[in-house]
Amino acid sequence: MLNLFSIENPEKSWEWMIFLAKKYSDMFWEGTKLTLFIAILGTLLGFVLGYVVGIIQDAKINQGDNIIKKLFVRLLKIIASIYVEIFRDTPMIVQAMIIYFGIRMQAHIDITPVSAGILVTVLNTGAYMAETVRGGIGSIDLGQREGAWAMGMSPMKTMLYIVLPQAFKNIIPEMANTFLTNLKMTSVLNVIAVQELFMAAKTVGGNYYKYFESYLVIAVIYFVLCFAFNKVFIYIEKKMQGKNDYALAVEYMDNQ
Amino acid sequence: MSETIISIQDLSKSFGDHEVLRKIDIDVHVGEIICIVGSSGSGKSTLLRCINKLERQTSGKIMFYGKEIRDAQKEINEYRSKVGMVFQSFNLFNNMTVLENCMLCTRKVLHLPKAEAFDRAITHLKAVGMAPFINAKPAQLSGGQKQRVAIARSLCMNPEVLLFDEPTSALDPEMVGEVLNVMKQLATTGLTMVIVTHEMAFARDVSTRTIFMDRGYVAEDAPPSELFSNPKNPRTREFLSRYLAG
Ligand SMILES: Nc1ncnc2c1ncn2[C@@H]1O[C@H](COP(=O)(O)OP(=O)(O)OP(=O)(O)O)[C@@H](O)[C@H]1O
Ligand SMILES: [Mg+2]
Repeated sequence: MLNLFSIENPEKSWEWMIFLAKKYSDMFWEGTKLTLFIAILGTLLGFVLGYVVGIIQDAKINQGDNIIKKLFVRLLKIIASIYVEIFRDTPMIVQAMIIYFGIRMQAHIDITPVSAGILVTVLNTGAYMAETVRGGIGSIDLGQREGAWAMGMSPMKTMLYIVLPQAFKNIIPEMANTFLTNLKMTSVLNVIAVQELFMAAKTVGGNYYKYFESYLVIAVIYFVLCFAFNKVFIYIEKKMQGKNDYALAVEYMDNQ
Repeated sequence: MSETIISIQDLSKSFGDHEVLRKIDIDVHVGEIICIVGSSGSGKSTLLRCINKLERQTSGKIMFYGKEIRDAQKEINEYRSKVGMVFQSFNLFNNMTVLENCMLCTRKVLHLPKAEAFDRAITHLKAVGMAPFINAKPAQLSGGQKQRVAIARSLCMNPEVLLFDEPTSALDPEMVGEVLNVMKQLATTGLTMVIVTHEMAFARDVSTRTIFMDRGYVAEDAPPSELFSNPKNPRTREFLSRYLAG
């Protein structure tokens, strides 16, 4: 009987795939872990950055405030929009090169490829999330905010307790999307020598000159990861929709 | 005349070159129930929004117990916590239950202890007949129920004045009564209220003073007995005849 995992002399492509996957399982495993690590950490930190930048972009300058506060808010808004524009209008692969070599060569800081890779992912995610967050905030009826303002709640607290929780719910699908994109986009980080999945396939393929088969292996891995995460996100989204009924507080019924 | 809470002085407001409020002077005294009536577009909502600082006036000022309220955010927040507002579209927080709606600002703005905020919420929700619904979300309530919750939510702040902007205009006819009854009940407690409304019978019966607004001006400001039975201004007469006929 044919044992898939004991192919010694691979000939067909699928045999090569199994052969390579088995022989270099450690390398692929390490690559998968690093890809997940960078994607998860980069995305989460990127979300935080995106929320901060999105809120700054949404902030209105209150004409009645003192000049220093007004200038400070204006400056923040300018920095935020320059940042968002730059990162949305350049390719991530170029950002990776510039940030990595910029920090190493120009700033003379000994940053590791992995740290640089995370930084690039965070900055890139932040720029895209900022727009998403801004859109999410904009989709919440202004009356929600006015209701809180009218009772003396500050714009910041209103954002925190009223607007963001509602906007968050609306942009969960977009956040899931961003994570899946990042999972795949980490592959460009091979250009700064991050040992993620793509790099693993490149190295493995080079050993036997079997690039086609080697990349097929990681294609399967990327596919399985994205497919699984996608299913998880859909499940979470369903759960978040919440229940549609409520319990009457019977202890207060007699006061009707 | 009792003490003046809010004094609106020479207030004007323009949107671009559209003058919506022109030189408004109104004093609101403790215990008064002022109804503001007038045709659509005469500036009633804008006036109320200026009083609450949701809209920035073009000129003139708003005094609160003799002190001018300037436009610094902190000062505005402090002032707003004492001047409640009930909106035509309720503006309940959609992500919160009825109870959370009523406790959020007492907790986060007034910094009341949880137990006290809870007690206030229950007291006022009981008064408007909404206590059994503390666990419901706004989307699960009818319009009339939402508005009663919104009123209770404002009352939790113990405001000096409560502003109402057409609180029954977004309601189905059969629900108007339940909200007006709550407001009539409130009127008997001595709470100072400024109410923009199209409910003429309510204005006539409940207000202590009725203001007719016309094209951004205060055209007439009189006790309802005078304004409704013997209007001085021809525009008031025209408005009332249109209203009472239609
Ligand atoms: N944000 C705004 N920008 C521009 N114009 C506005 C704005 N808000 C109100 N207006 C204009 O100001 C005028 C007065 O509006 P306002 O809402 O105060 O009238 P109103 O008396 O409350 O009318 P209604 O009875 O229909 O509620 C209207 O002509 C309106 O179009
Ligand atoms: Mg109006």
